[in-house]
Amino acid sequence: MLSATGKGKLISGVLFLLLLGLGVLMLYPFLWMISVSLERTSNIAVPFPPRLIPEQFSFFNYKLVFENGVLFKTYANSAIISLFSVILSVSSALLAGYAFSRGEFRGKKLLFFAVLATMMIPFEARLIPMFSMFNDLGMINTKYPLIFPAIINALGIVLVKQYFDRLPEGLRESAKIDGANEFTIFFRIFAPLSGPITATLAILAFQDSWNSFLWPLVVINDQDMKTVPLFLSSFSSENGSRWVGVTMATAAMSILPIVIVFLFLQKYIIRSIALSGLKGE
Amino acid sequence: MSNQMSKATPLGVLDQRMLRKRNKMLRRQPTLAWYLFLLPTLLGIAVFMIYPLAESLRLSFTKGADERFVGLQNYVSVLESGTFWYSVYNTLYITVFQLLIAIPLGFIIACLINNLRRGSNFFKVLFYLPNVTSIVAAATVFLALLHPDGPLNYVVQLLGFEKLVWLSQPLSARWGAIILSVWHWLGFVIIINLANLQAISSDYYEAASIDGASGFKQWLYITLPNMVGSLTVLFVIGWIGGLQRFSDAYMLGGLQGSPARSLHTVVGFIFERGFGGYEYGLASAASYILFFFILAFTYVNTKVTKMKI
Repeated sequence: MLSATGKGKLISGVLFLLLLGLGVLMLYPFLWMISVSLERTSNIAVPFPPRLIPEQFSFFNYKLVFENGVLFKTYANSAIISLFSVILSVSSALLAGYAFSRGEFRGKKLLFFAVLATMMIPFEARLIPMFSMFNDLGMINTKYPLIFPAIINALGIVLVKQYFDRLPEGLRESAKIDGANEFTIFFRIFAPLSGPITATLAILAFQDSWNSFLWPLVVINDQDMKTVPLFLSSFSSENGSRWVGVTMATAAMSILPIVIVFLFLQKYIIRSIALSGLKGE
Repeated sequence: MSNQMSKATPLGVLDQRMLRKRNKMLRRQPTLAWYLFLLPTLLGIAVFMIYPLAESLRLSFTKGADERFVGLQNYVSVLESGTFWYSVYNTLYITVFQLLIAIPLGFIIACLINNLRRGSNFFKVLFYLPNVTSIVAAATVFLALLHPDGPLNYVVQLLGFEKLVWLSQPLSARWGAIILSVWHWLGFVIIINLANLQAISSDYYEAASIDGASGFKQWLYITLPNMVGSLTVLFVIGWIGGLQRFSDAYMLGGLQGSPARSLHTVVGFIFERGFGGYEYGLASAASYILFFFILAFTYVNTKVTKMKI
């Protein structure tokens, strides 16, 4: 009996070390990115052989990025776009999810199917008319085309519907007897109870918006309006393999906000990914 | 409302009819409210889904700035274009190897994490980290990793091979894209697999242990069969996402998918024709062809999803 647990502990320890090794390998690109960004001479040549402790440690590359200042403009753009995208997609999903969970109305099944169907339509099939539409409205190089389409959140609606489905119907009945209408019931009872699912949806929407690339690439070409991924993309393609140190410092700065959000909210993020993935999106 | 009710009750015979009428009214009244709840979403679907889809279809039958009707000519041009089929080949090549490597590897790592006594959350976070970062940032780092003097070549040399200029040869460039996509997607595969592993009832394992089945046998006869469904779903999700790949290939290969168009993907083709060449008709036709590909796989996906999970 004792030897069996001993053996179990040994296996567990070996397993842990094996996974730790794989995990370090997984993180290696980031570790190397940070190391190169902190290397004083990395803009002249890529440090070779590769090392994780910089030979000439310096914040020089970060200083250049800070002094340039463009990155912070793009940060502000991305932050505003992400904030409004999150508000729009979460609120529309909560409203629609509530209707599909508790509502009885003509065409409910058909409309729910229509919502589900939007998940099957690739963005590329709508790309050109979407561009023309915003172009006709004079909204190219503005934040609007990057915010408005977030109003459709099919996956969010499905998740909210399932969340609300599990809440007891008694909540609504007692409020109804007191004469409350659906809006009062939603805003006073269901919305306040939707904290966990709202957090999940907000994270998914933030990640989508902050990391989005193809659509911003199409509708933004003004340097001042660029989002973080756009700036990083143009910076690295303009400089090729020169300025590796500054490029790595910029890349490190670009992922910093989402990594911080992730480390603080990892429980919610991992749950939301598991949820969204299981829905087959 | 409760006032009306008490008024209606003493009326005896009329009572039933009035109750029915009142119920009908009660039901109709909130109906409008429900549509108001759905208004933002329905408005969004009309403006950003239905209209662009219809417009894209119309454009796919036209040519030039004057949008003159040319029937199926764009579709024929796309399907006869060698560039298009090469972009299909590149897309499939990168995606097939991405899935063949990432799904089994992610599954094995998920099994290992699942067997840990403690620290499983730590590893979830560790492996998932690349996936939260944008593919653009990931690709920027990989551009440097794939540099002739970068760490990847260092490993290549340690293994006794010649240094590679990764992004100058079609084959090595595509494999660079595959390594990037596997690395970026692996965390997602692990999280989905872990969620499914934890959903398998522990009763099976307990019963098998009592019968004296070894750990490996339990894995082979209990874990694996229970995971077939979710592995298939992952394959289909990855396949659909892979068909839409753009950012990673664009970052490594630019607008033309250099070297020698080996990183030119289907979406890259649509993007280049639509926004590089202003051939809206042709690009729309190509995007409809892609759409039907994806629709077919999504249909398969819904069948598979119903089958398991």
